[in-house]
Amino acid sequence: MAHAEGRNLGLVEAEDGAGRQSFVERHRQLLLGCLAVALFFAAWQAVFLVVPFNPLFISKPSLIAKALLDLIASGQLLDDLRVSAIPFFYGFTAAIVVGVAVGIVMGWRARVGYALDPLMTALYASPLVALAPLLVVFFGVGVAGKAIIIFSLAVFPFVFNAYAGVRAVDPLLINVVRSLGGSEMNLYLKVILPSTLPYIVAGARLAVGRALVGVLVAEFFAASEGIGYAIARFGDLYALDRMFACILTVMVIAVALTEAVRWAERAAFPWRSGQ
Amino acid sequence: MQAYIEGRNINLTFRPPNRGPVRALRGFDIDIGEGEFLSIVGPSGCGKSTFLNVLLGLLRPDSGELTMRGRRIAGPGSDRAMVFQEFGLLPWRTVQNNVELGLELKGVAAVARRKISARLIEMVGLIGFETHYPHELSGGMKQRVGLARALATDPDVLLMDEPFAALDAQTRDLMQVELLHIWQAARKTVLFVTHQIDEAIYLSDRIMVMTKRPGRAKKIFAVDLPRPRDYEMRVTPRFNDLKLEIWHTLKDEISV
Repeated sequence: MAHAEGRNLGLVEAEDGAGRQSFVERHRQLLLGCLAVALFFAAWQAVFLVVPFNPLFISKPSLIAKALLDLIASGQLLDDLRVSAIPFFYGFTAAIVVGVAVGIVMGWRARVGYALDPLMTALYASPLVALAPLLVVFFGVGVAGKAIIIFSLAVFPFVFNAYAGVRAVDPLLINVVRSLGGSEMNLYLKVILPSTLPYIVAGARLAVGRALVGVLVAEFFAASEGIGYAIARFGDLYALDRMFACILTVMVIAVALTEAVRWAERAAFPWRSGQ
Repeated sequence: MQAYIEGRNINLTFRPPNRGPVRALRGFDIDIGEGEFLSIVGPSGCGKSTFLNVLLGLLRPDSGELTMRGRRIAGPGSDRAMVFQEFGLLPWRTVQNNVELGLELKGVAAVARRKISARLIEMVGLIGFETHYPHELSGGMKQRVGLARALATDPDVLLMDEPFAALDAQTRDLMQVELLHIWQAARKTVLFVTHQIDEAIYLSDRIMVMTKRPGRAKKIFAVDLPRPRDYEMRVTPRFNDLKLEIWHTLKDEISV
């Protein structure tokens, strides 16, 4: 553990040591995170050694793990995920395209911004989830209905982040492109969009979580398949081990998607100094 | 006979929302000869940069005439290009892609762009930095990119808005020398705005001193130092006499 104190030495020293650090030292952050998760499940499991266990109201990790393996083995879980992935993809893609376009125009065209800001803020703040049954009535229980609910939840982080991003665009860069003969479209594509991109990706991190909520809500209300429907159905059947297995799966997907966005954020912006 | 660039009685007032109007230029006249290196010095906020933006075509004056080769300036054009004080490089573009920006906007094909940018990157001494991003460059290197970008579209007139003000003193001296080399090779008309009298004398054929806001020409000085100029000229009596004369003209306009 000669390098345990490396942080207190000079920067050069610490970097020299990096190559010789042990596996544990290099992955300390990840390992500690995993350890906490493991302890959480261990504690959950341990509680039922002393508390009487009623499988009707609660499940425990060992049963959930078994249920998860069963669902995977039967192919049911994968089928449900596949069904849910399609409206998620459509809804999220539409949210990116529409949200970014609306947010950028709101930011760049002051009058559009003044006009739409209150409306968008009200919609963002409103409990759209409560409107889900109505949307289902309008658009049906198929892919379209689900996609629209997902879209309506995921679109706002893109709108507001793109809006904020445009207002942070350096006016000097606008002048540079104008002075070199750039058109309005050039301004959008060569200055506004690229300088807004980091804000949009940050918005995507928020939108992923909201879109997943959208999947579940849509399928709670109106679906005959999909991961949200599976959670609702297993809940109705008091099959809590399988319900938790599905919830756990959604959690893992949420974490994976959020991390993927983070990774994309780092990889996509090589021009940003620092971090 | 009409001058290459001729400005007559140019007036421009800014009307910012929620604040009183600001008269930036009033009765501003200017004549610039073809191939001339003209500097404008004046107190802060006197309208020097405003005039550059008018000439660039980004600002429209309220009244007055501004022509180039007898034709009225109505907007940006590829016969004029600006080098900005704060560089104005697009941070998500590499050196090479920044240099090529104007060519790209003009619709020049990629192969031709590459050829031109390669030549200019060599000219400003940035070989080896083509794929670097602006945040990886020093201030002096950033302004070299800014200069190369302005030259890429081969404008007739180069507008420079305190281009070296953000640089340290040594880098600034070096950049002045290089600018003169480039100007002598390319023979562009240069309009150079600066706060530094030294810099103006060292570079220019003529120097316009402006009044305080609303700005107009107060006096024009011809710099009769021979070319090519070298660094040692800065310590000659002629240089210093002129510097003193310009300073006396300027100092009445400066209020602290």
